[in-house]
Amino acid sequence: MAGQQLALTVLMGLVLVGVAALLTRIEDWRRYTALAGGAVAVGEESGYGHREKPSGVIRWLTTVDHKDIGILYGVFALISLAVGGLMVMVMRFELLTPASDVISPQLYNAFLTSHGITMLFLFGTPIIAAFGNYFIPLLIGADDMAFPRINAIAFWLLPPGALLIWGGFLIPGIAPSQTSWTMYTPLSVEQAHLGADLMLLGLHLTGVSATMGAINFIVTIFTERGEDVNWANLDIFSWTMLTQSGIILFAFPLLGSAIVMLLLDRNLGTLFYAVGEGGGTILWQHLFWFFGHPEVYILVLPPMGLVSYILPRFAGRKLFGFKFVVYSTLAIGVLSFGVWAHHMFSTGIDPRLRASFMAVSLAIAVPSAVKTFNWITTMWNGRIKLAAPMLFCIGFVSNFIIGGVTGVFLASIPVDLVLHDTYYVVGHFHYIIMGAIAFAVFAGIYYWFPIFTGKMYQRTLAKWHFWLSMIGTNVTFFAMLLLGYMEMPRRYASYEFDPAVAPLDAITLLHQAATVGAVILLIGQIIFVWNVVQSWLEAPTLTDEDPWDLKNDGLFTREFGWNADRLALPDGGEEEAMADGGEAEADQ
Amino acid sequence: MSEQVDAAGGYRRASPWPVFVALGFALSELGIFVGLYPVAVGGLLLLAGSVAGILRESDYATDVWRPLAGLGVAFAVLGIAVVGTQVDPTTLDVLAVVSDPGGIVGRGLAIAGAGVILLVVGLVGYLLE
Repeated sequence: MAGQQLALTVLMGLVLVGVAALLTRIEDWRRYTALAGGAVAVGEESGYGHREKPSGVIRWLTTVDHKDIGILYGVFALISLAVGGLMVMVMRFELLTPASDVISPQLYNAFLTSHGITMLFLFGTPIIAAFGNYFIPLLIGADDMAFPRINAIAFWLLPPGALLIWGGFLIPGIAPSQTSWTMYTPLSVEQAHLGADLMLLGLHLTGVSATMGAINFIVTIFTERGEDVNWANLDIFSWTMLTQSGIILFAFPLLGSAIVMLLLDRNLGTLFYAVGEGGGTILWQHLFWFFGHPEVYILVLPPMGLVSYILPRFAGRKLFGFKFVVYSTLAIGVLSFGVWAHHMFSTGIDPRLRASFMAVSLAIAVPSAVKTFNWITTMWNGRIKLAAPMLFCIGFVSNFIIGGVTGVFLASIPVDLVLHDTYYVVGHFHYIIMGAIAFAVFAGIYYWFPIFTGKMYQRTLAKWHFWLSMIGTNVTFFAMLLLGYMEMPRRYASYEFDPAVAPLDAITLLHQAATVGAVILLIGQIIFVWNVVQSWLEAPTLTDEDPWDLKNDGLFTREFGWNADRLALPDGGEEEAMADGGEAEADQ
Repeated sequence: MSEQVDAAGGYRRASPWPVFVALGFALSELGIFVGLYPVAVGGLLLLAGSVAGILRESDYATDVWRPLAGLGVAFAVLGIAVVGTQVDPTTLDVLAVVSDPGGIVGRGLAIAGAGVILLVVGLVGYLLE
């Protein structure tokens, strides 16, 4: 033990010395001594170049430029998407047969836990931050985010968070967490795995990161708007990011506190969630879902904003009922905090409380439906151009309707009591998360691909990506809805049924259909990765400043205007050597 | 915003500190909660050093020594408070808990230890300049 402590101490000492050595290479320390000595004029620039970015890896480690940080967020999120996706592929193969014969139930549980956490916290939230960071300053006419360094800190909290969340798999000899992403007590208190502690710590870090990012977005949108951007003409994506950031501000710190209490219960003998003591086990569910349900809207509002922003540009019309889309966004933001107990209808809470939560849960469907009707009406009689971003937007609307309507049924207490903890719930929320949120993300990536790469993606591959994703999503998750009707419970590595309840053959067949759908999805995503990577590296540089032909319809927007300025630069748009991406030079 | 603009009037687009602030935060949290005391102390030192660096860089502080010492005081007070929760209020026998530090006391001592180191570094640096 003493030897281990000594080794750790030496290791930490080496880390600190290494950090100091690295800093001396990239930051001029003499700046401080000179200032303190008073011998040099205050404010003299340090040796480290600030107007130009350093090159190589150091550029990416030290950048505080919102566009670079946006790309870092995006790359991180897509790597997480791949990790979470591969985890669930193993799970789907496990479910091909009723017996547990591909992986052990323990590993299945670990993958189940990690898949959920990875997709929600390491893919969903960061990919939205990627779009927000890159495009919000461009959309609102700001030079950068309000707090560029805090922006960078928020991003750099994510990689250590991810390593901790996956720590149970990465560190030999410790078991990964098997608590499911909801981490319900008493299971999560009593499960002795070190992997669970590491996952909770990682989750806490991602929460801190999201909160820092949200503060930054709010301040940026309030204080850094260009002179000609006001609340009346603020774009819809910024509105949804603003609302989402507001929700994060109230939801994530609560998750952080609840996690710290859980860690204290696990490691330091407190009794916050102990059975019969303190708040009891139900306290965790209240705290978790008070965060957890707003989290759903944290994840879905900006993608809704993306669709509201992109869809009109391929329909040749302005967004129908813009004001009402904004109002419904704000309404969802407020109502999202009044629905959490609909996750707890079957826990035995007071029936009067249940009824009020049912009412609010049904009410929140109204603003969501307002948006849906607005998207449909925008397309009505429009000149629809079925480019890849538009296909994904239409796919979003279609999947969102199925995911949303199945959710309305779940909001009803009697229906929920029957379907609770079945695959119906899994099918419902995957229609939203994969079918809607991920589709909007793909729409955003394709729509803005010309801006962040300066290239164009391969259109045929993008359409393959869309159709495989659309078919795969519906095969997989519709099968899950049917599995739910047949009372297949969630979170099991193996299954067997009394023939009086459900025929095992039918259950197995539906599981196999879901797995086939997942394979189709996987093929689609491999095409996506291939398309993005190859197009980014090899496609010819795009010189068309209006690749979507937006000017004809009067739908040309500020971020493409910024891109056009960049393309118009005499040096061919090489942004490395310019102040803030070329605007300053372009104006001179 | 003024903090973004350097003396030459351009915008700073690179800073070495954020990655180390994040790493320091992660290491200190890991060390404190899992009970790896050297990691806790090292993480807190890295966190405080980077915070001092980033405050200096963005001109919120005129030197790094005062923020270092200030954070040292804060950590020391926090660590002592954590240890204090385990002292028997009737006997106030501090030695008894400190001489045989277990879970909570060990963590408190790690935080306080990092605080003292930072305070000393901050004071020495300030006085030498």
